[in-house]
Amino acid sequence: MNARIVSSLLILAAITLYCSIERATEPSHEHPRYTKISADGEPLKPWQGPWACVLDHQSNLLWEVKTDNESIHDGYWTYSWFNNHAGEENLGDCYFEPARCDTEDLVRHTNRHGLCGVKNWRLPTHTELQSLVQAPTRPSSTHIAHDYFIHIKHGDYWTSDSDDQLPAHFEQFQMGGKAVNFHTGQSMTLPYRNAAFTMLVSTAPNLTAFRFNTPRLSNRTSVITQPKENDK
Amino acid sequence: MYRSTFLLLHLFIIITVFTSLFSGLRIATVTHDSFLLLSPILPEGRVHFWHMLSACTLTILSFSYLIYRKKNKSPPTGSKYHIFINQFGYLVFVASLITGWCVYFNLTQFNAHTIHLISALLIIAYLILHSWVYVIQYGKKLIKRLLFIPKRQFPWVCLLALLLATPLFFYLTLHNQTFLQVTSLKPQTLMEVDGLDTEEAWQNTPSIKVHTIGGANFIDGQTTVTIKALHNQHETFFLFKWQDPTHSLAHLPLEKTQDGWKVKENGFVNFDERKHYEDKFAVMLSHTCGNGADGTTHLGKKPLDNKPNNWHGKGYHASVDGNIRDLWHWKAVRTNDMVLADDNFIGPPAQPLHGQRRYSAGYLPDGKESGAYVMNWQWYSQTGVIPKRLPDTLTTPNQVLPWFGSSAYQSAKDNYPIGSQIPSVLYRSNRFEGDRADVRARGHWKDGVWTLELVRKNQTSSDHDVALQNGICMWVSAFDHSQIAHTRHNAAIALRYSL
Repeated sequence: MNARIVSSLLILAAITLYCSIERATEPSHEHPRYTKISADGEPLKPWQGPWACVLDHQSNLLWEVKTDNESIHDGYWTYSWFNNHAGEENLGDCYFEPARCDTEDLVRHTNRHGLCGVKNWRLPTHTELQSLVQAPTRPSSTHIAHDYFIHIKHGDYWTSDSDDQLPAHFEQFQMGGKAVNFHTGQSMTLPYRNAAFTMLVSTAPNLTAFRFNTPRLSNRTSVITQPKENDK
Repeated sequence: MYRSTFLLLHLFIIITVFTSLFSGLRIATVTHDSFLLLSPILPEGRVHFWHMLSACTLTILSFSYLIYRKKNKSPPTGSKYHIFINQFGYLVFVASLITGWCVYFNLTQFNAHTIHLISALLIIAYLILHSWVYVIQYGKKLIKRLLFIPKRQFPWVCLLALLLATPLFFYLTLHNQTFLQVTSLKPQTLMEVDGLDTEEAWQNTPSIKVHTIGGANFIDGQTTVTIKALHNQHETFFLFKWQDPTHSLAHLPLEKTQDGWKVKENGFVNFDERKHYEDKFAVMLSHTCGNGADGTTHLGKKPLDNKPNNWHGKGYHASVDGNIRDLWHWKAVRTNDMVLADDNFIGPPAQPLHGQRRYSAGYLPDGKESGAYVMNWQWYSQTGVIPKRLPDTLTTPNQVLPWFGSSAYQSAKDNYPIGSQIPSVLYRSNRFEGDRADVRARGHWKDGVWTLELVRKNQTSSDHDVALQNGICMWVSAFDHSQIAHTRHNAAIALRYSL
């Protein structure tokens, strides 16, 4: 009988021990294509933040990430298309210019600040921007990986492609710039004077420094998070 | 023969009691954090199904045992100790069954759910005092004594009766509902969605009361919801009233500390805030009326295969039958000033996103064309945040931070004294537009009671809405400054529209 008491107490102890073992939280999984990059150019884990850029491993491009903090990168600001003295100046809406805004203003300010340690920001080509289009993963979400490209609006985003024939209803403007609409995932040509959103891109010179599992990544261990607006 | 029947019933009851206990303890983890210690050995997923099945089996077995005892009048065998313990066991089993069925029928006003939990714990005590002591006394011999039923004396009739009666009884329990009469409204009657029930139409409308349990912060975790409903050709109006002694509007306020601004919270980092949160109310609608929130409740840390776990370890909602459940989520701060409830839905488990730490399975907002509330921090961290905007003059945190009357954050202009608190909810643009704005709602708190008026079109064009019509089932939940710890009830409320 003593053996039965001891063995049953051992079973109870084993169950208690099993229940009390601290179980590791399921780790985040790296995105197969994108890596978050902090404002000072450090790669982050998928749940870390804040991040200011996204590195696209497929195209080896570094993308500006929009914000909602009224900085120059705020996703609400719009821009008319203006590049190298071509297009229309200052017909978009933003807070960071005394006059209104155009795409060249955003490029100039972003390069001056050296976002993510990079100073060769520019408008993306149509092919580059179109490569970000993907099917929405949530009802009515934008046609982009919105967990990485946050604050992307359901609207048109400028590309660097210009001198494109406008459709008939814009006939009076003749030529315009190409844009990608992340609400529909479609491309279209818009008059330069149109106020559209803009997301800049850069071909970072030191892309290899941003690769997954670099030693620099291990320096940032704290997991911080930003619950979104739809959190219960 | 009697011995064989007893052994069969005993075998069934061993399986049933363990199923019921394990599934019931998992259900208890939702309300009682202390039971989360047992989480690694408790089942996950749709445990309400197993709990109901075992409840039905246990009820059938109890009646079967009564019949057995009536036929077999021989006195109980065993030592005085075991006879006494068995009588204790009968008592707690009866208490557990009666209170369990009370919870099933929403008869929880007299704390049936608490007695149910206590009786479950007493059953564990009984199992130790009865089963464990027998194991100590007899060891391996007990297995042979309990599990071996001689083939010649096998009670086939009893087995057949159990196998037929249990599924039939379980099937009958799948349809459990109370009814809410949706009274017809004259076409010329105007209703103002203002959170007040002053309209004559409301005064003359019959109501039902639904007792809800298991929520954080309410007195004993309970509140009774009084419900009225009216409809016209195009819309249905609902009036909900529930007791909530605290008018909670301080939603994750930001507090200035020596180290900068911090979010006041006690569980938000794990998405289970229960202190610094707004009051809320949720309504779920479905074409079907099943138990466990119509089968959408998946309990445990990782209740769905190949899907991420949840941070609080309690579970999440998802529809695994492919049907959409409509979910209206009124929030006392975030949506009340928009005169809206957040129109959400419960659908199939969503595709996990690499960049999002919180996975909410099938619980998702309807799509929107524009509009939003945003949180007044640039990036959330437990250790500190930078606000997006600061109020121009110090304001109470119990409200939405007004856009006009606040300015973009600049550290140089952050002169607020240590201890200052500011709101964390900011309306950056217009209110929701599109599918997510289908439900108009306004709540008003007075003297410990919330009154919530809510209206939606009977038919919307959204794939994520359930049409309001005869036979639709509804569930309600109240939140007292808690993020997910809401009250609940089992029996669905079926809508009966007047012709």
